[in-house]
Formats: sequence, structure tokens, C-alpha cells
Amino acid sequence: MSQQSTALPAAPTRPSTLWQVLTSTDHKSIGLTYMGVAAVFLVLGGLEALVMRVQLAVPNNRLIAGETYDRFLTMHGTTMIFFVLLPLLLGFTNYLLPLQIGARDMAFPRMNAFSLWLLVGGGLLLYLSPFTGAPSQGWFSYAPLSETPFTPQRGVDLWSAALIISGYGTTLTAVNILVTGARLRARGMLYKRLPMFAWMGWINGFIILFALPCLTAVLLMLEVDRLLGAGLFTRGDPVLWQHYFWLFGHPEIYLLILPSWGLISEIIPVFSRKPIFGYEFVAWSTVAIAFLSFAVYAHHMFAVGLGWPVDLAFGTTSMVIAIPTGIKIFNWLATMWKGSVRYTLPMLYAAAFIVQFTFGGVTGVTFAVVPIDWQLTDTYYVVAHFHYVLFGGSLFAVLAGLHYLYPKFTGRFLDERLGKWGFWLNVIGFNGVFLVQHLLGLMGMPRRVYTYPALPGWGALNLFSTVSGFVLGVGLLVLLVNLVRSRTHGVPAGRDPWNGWTLEWLSSSPPARENFALLPPLHSRRPLWDLKHPDDMDHVRPRRHDKNGHIREEERDHT
Amino acid sequence: MTALPTSNDRASRSHLGMLAFLASDTVIFLLMLVSNIYLRRSESQNGQALPEPGRMLVFSVLLWGSSGVLALAEQQRNRGDRLGAGALYLVTALLGAVFALAQGLEWRSLNAHGGTISASLFFSTFYTTTGLHGLHVLLGLPVLLGLAVLSWTGKIGRRAPGVAAAVLYWHFVDAVWLVLYLVFYVWRGP
Repeated sequence: MSQQSTALPAAPTRPSTLWQVLTSTDHKSIGLTYMGVAAVFLVLGGLEALVMRVQLAVPNNRLIAGETYDRFLTMHGTTMIFFVLLPLLLGFTNYLLPLQIGARDMAFPRMNAFSLWLLVGGGLLLYLSPFTGAPSQGWFSYAPLSETPFTPQRGVDLWSAALIISGYGTTLTAVNILVTGARLRARGMLYKRLPMFAWMGWINGFIILFALPCLTAVLLMLEVDRLLGAGLFTRGDPVLWQHYFWLFGHPEIYLLILPSWGLISEIIPVFSRKPIFGYEFVAWSTVAIAFLSFAVYAHHMFAVGLGWPVDLAFGTTSMVIAIPTGIKIFNWLATMWKGSVRYTLPMLYAAAFIVQFTFGGVTGVTFAVVPIDWQLTDTYYVVAHFHYVLFGGSLFAVLAGLHYLYPKFTGRFLDERLGKWGFWLNVIGFNGVFLVQHLLGLMGMPRRVYTYPALPGWGALNLFSTVSGFVLGVGLLVLLVNLVRSRTHGVPAGRDPWNGWTLEWLSSSPPARENFALLPPLHSRRPLWDLKHPDDMDHVRPRRHDKNGHIREEERDHT
Repeated sequence: MTALPTSNDRASRSHLGMLAFLASDTVIFLLMLVSNIYLRRSESQNGQALPEPGRMLVFSVLLWGSSGVLALAEQQRNRGDRLGAGALYLVTALLGAVFALAQGLEWRSLNAHGGTISASLFFSTFYTTTGLHGLHVLLGLPVLLGLAVLSWTGKIGRRAPGVAAAVLYWHFVDAVWLVLYLVFYVWRGP
């Protein structure tokens, strides 16, 4: 016996978890790493926001200098957009897309890892910039203010490099997503049967593919100006910067919301026990938005003076894009209508998403009316608007998705009580910070300015906003504690805790290395429903609700 | 084993992925060209007559010819001639290298005649765009050399989807130069 054991090769030493994370090419590990990285940057970006809120708490505050405030503003915006929301959504896409389409991994697993580390490298470059003078030109980096005479510090160049490098990571991820969706769908997983998240994530690949190069091009041009003294945006045309930047910038907003919509379109049906209402409309409105997102960008530039034909054209497209967006909202509501809705944590966040995102969408349409935009541009109304879309919309959808998929990630539920505390603190905190900013904007308070005079009402509303900011901070902290604690202390969840319908709930929790040993035959958009109800399959009876919207009694069951 | 047609490689993941990436890349070149065409109008004395179409045409033809050589190499590979294919990959790389060198000399000569990057907006965008293209050429060289070595050592045979992607990349680089040559060297108008 002892002889035999000596003959055996030495027991394989298990590589440390850290080493596994650093070297993994598995889409699930990469997806979770994206989210972990985003969490670190969320803490940084959140603290930067709190510094700004403290500075703005009272009128005529001189706590930090204007230049310092601008640096916090720039770092906050850049961090939240490129290193929090984007990696969170790419993380979900990485994790879920192969699972939902019945694939073993992404199409290019090693390139997938490469993309991840490009993004991390970009984030590190951005946070090296404070050592050489942090960028202070704002995330939009308007020329000529971003040029050497106005912002001489090297931080701007590091900022550009960070975005070019992480941008290539994102572009390569888009390539990966597109090829995965096009080539790796399981037998029977037709395009028209794709789960909504997979569909929207895939369409999002197209937006990334054509939006990110605009940013890369314009950043290269900025660096040619800054490092080689070309003067494209000084001697040339500063408005050219705005055209190119917003040609990227507006699709960017949509690429930050499409996967979020996907998550919401998964959660609402499962927690209402009804298949999504108007699948085709939701699917095709996504395509419409992908096209239109490139045709609305100049509504960021109404104050530039492009002439009324241009303003009118872009005002019109900006109103038109509200139609496919509205279609989605109505379809979500119709899905919930007379369904068997259960408000557990994922659904609570999804409900908050609908309310907040719709509000942000409506204020967005007001900017499509050119005179209103002239009145409100560069005020806190704009700040309030895009935070309702990106935070109240995109990030809340991510939080919904996080609560929905945490059992899949870890095999355990998030703690419900702690989760409810986190939810209400986040909702109250978020709305507290940004709802009042609409009023401040309407009263004329300019954005991007480090302090303000003691005009009637301004001080009180700003103080309210700041205090709410800390409530929001506590809410996110509670969520973080819950995420860490439930990893070991959570209630075991099993493979399909929500009685789901898409393929990710067929795999074990967490899924095994190559996801599936066997796949069921795919006949419809809800393969797991078919598997659980062989006598009542979807392709036999695709419409689940009667004329009045009711579903059958046996379909109301959540477990 | 029957020889697989190349169309099979073109349907591969790598080929599709490269197609997507190049679509993205096209947008960068497009925006840079637009900036050149737009900004060159704003200066009357921008020195846009300085780049000489004749001299650069010789080297341009070499680059475009490299696409033809590469197509021949692919043909040899499909016939199973590993040595011949490898040699033709090498020739493709050499033609690319000659072009890159010529581009460098062209830049030096333009600089000597006052066509510096800050001389005019035409030249700013000229150097930005041709520089980006040159970078694409330089990135293609190790790939082509790698193909030659892999072909000689028998690592790639008739069916090699990755090769189809690399070939597509090189054809793209050559096609972009056609547009760049026309805009910077042939077309004189604002």
C-alpha cells in the first residue's frame, strides 16, 4: 500500500484562489471578476461623489478648491461610466450569455481574459493619474479646455490612455459577444427563441462595436494635439471634438442600459409567472434603439449653435427614440398585469427600476424640446436626469440582477432582511439625492461648479441632497456586507431557486466547469417550463394569458 | 481525407470575429478621414500639394501587390504546398516591410520640406491617419512571418480558420491604404 502511494505522482497542489482568478479563461470566473473589479471602483467613485456632495452641502463653501472639485468630478464620472457600470454589465453578459444559449464558454476564452485585464489595466492607469495631477477637464473632456494650455497636467494623458486601453478591451469583448451569439447557440436555440437578456446583450455587442471606435479615434486626436502640438481642436474646430465625442457618448448611454433592460426582462416575467408580454416587440424595439442611438447624439449640443435644421432633426430623433423605449416599459407593465407578482428582493429592485427609469426617460424627452434644453442645459436638471437613467435605471437593474443571480453565482440566497434594509436605504437615498436636483436645476443652479451663492432654497435642497447621499452610501454598504456575508451564511438555494425558465437555471449553482452535461431539446423560449410541464409545452400553447390577461391557476405557483 | 474548401474557414469563429473587429476599425479610419477632409478646408495654405503621388505610388503598388501574393499563398496552402505557401507568406511580409520603410522615408522627406505635424491641419490629420495605418502594417508583419514559420513547420495545413482571419486582416490593411492614397495623394480639392 505504502509502495503504491509512493509510486503515485505527487498530489496535485491546488492553485490558490487568487491565482485561479488571475489566470482563468472561464466565462463565469471572468464575469465575476468584472463585477468584483467594478465593486472596487464603485467604492472609489462613490467616495468621490461624497466629497463633492460635502463640498456642495452649504452655500459659499470653501472646503476644497475649485480645481480640486473639478478633479473629483472628472474622476467620479469617468470611474462610474467606464469602470463601474460597463464592467458590471460586461460581467453579467459574460456570465449569462453562454449559460442562456446553452454554450460551454464564450467563443474566444483567452481573448475574453485579455479583454478583462485590459479593462483592469485601464482602471489602474486612471488611478495613477492623481500622482501626476488628476485630470480636471470632466469626463466629456471638452476641447479646447482639455488641451495643454488649459489643462497642462499629465493626468489628462493618463486618462486618455486609460480609456483607449480599456476601450480596446471592451471592443474585443463585443467581438466575443457577437461571435458567441452567432455561432455558439445550442441546437434549437434559434435567434427568435433567445432569452431576452441574451438577445439584448448580443445587440449591445453591435452598439459597442461601432461606438467605442469613435472614442478611440477622438482620444487619439486629442493626444496628437496634446503631445505633438497639432492643434486639431484649437486651430481646427473645437466643435469637432463634441461631434465625435457624442457620436460615441450617446450610444454609450444606450450600451449601458441594454443589458440592464435584459436583466429586467428576465426578472419581471419570472416573478410575475407570465412569459414576457410582446416578446417580438421587446426584441425589435431593442434593434430600433441600437440604430437610433447613433442618430440622436447632437441633442447634447443644442447650445453650440448648429442651426435650427440640425437642432430640429436631432430633437425629432430624440423624441422618436422614446417610442421603442416606451414600448419596453409598457411590455414590462403588461407582463406584471394580472400576473402572480411576488415582491422578493430582485422584483423590488426591478419595480424601483421601472419607476425611476421611466422618470429619467421622461425628463430625457424634455431635452428633445430644443427651447427647454436651452433653458436647462448645464443645470442640475441634467445631472438629475442622467443619474435617474444611469443610477436609478442601469445600476438598479444591475442590483436586481445581482439579487436574482446571486444564488446561481454562489449556491446561496442573499439575506432577505438585510437585503430589504439595503433596498429601502438605496431607494430613499438615491431619490433623496437626485429628486431635489431637478428643482435646483429648474431654479437655475449650474452644474460643474464647485460652489454656489446662498439663494433662497438652494442651501436647504443641497443639504438634503448631501444627507441623502450618505443614506445611499450606507445602503450600498449594507448591500456589500450582505454580498460578503451570504457567501458563507446564506440559505442554500439549489439549482433553480426562482422556478426559472431559461437554461442558466438548469446548471448547478454555481455551474460546473463547462456548464452543461446535457441539454434538453429546445422547442420554445422557455425550455425549463417545457421540461417541467411536458403535458403543456409552450410551442403547443404559446399564449399563456386569456383575453383579460389572466393566467391559469396552476401557472401562478412560484416554487 | 478530402480537401476542405476555404469557404469553410471563412465561416469560422476567428474569421467572423476578425470581420467584426475590422468593422470597428473602419469607424476609426472613417472618422480620421472625415476630420482631414473637413479641417483641410479651413486653411488656404495647408501644403496639401506637398505629398507626391508618383513616388508613393511605387510603394503603394508593392503593398497592394502583397495582397495578390497573399492570395497566391492561400492557393498554395489549399493545394497542400507547405513550403511554397510559407515562401509566399514571407514575400508578403517583405513587401509590407518595404512599404513601412518607404512610409518612414516619406515622412522624413515631408518633414524636411516643411510638412511637419503642426505645420497645418492637413498634415496633422495626414500623420495621424497614415500613422495609424502604418501601425496596422507593422502589426501585420509578425503575423505574416508567423504564418510563414507555421507553414514551414507544418503547423498549419489546408484547414486553418485562424489563417483566414489573418489574411482578411492583411487585405483590409491594403484596402484602407487605397482609400488613404486617394484622399491624401490624388485628391487635391478641399
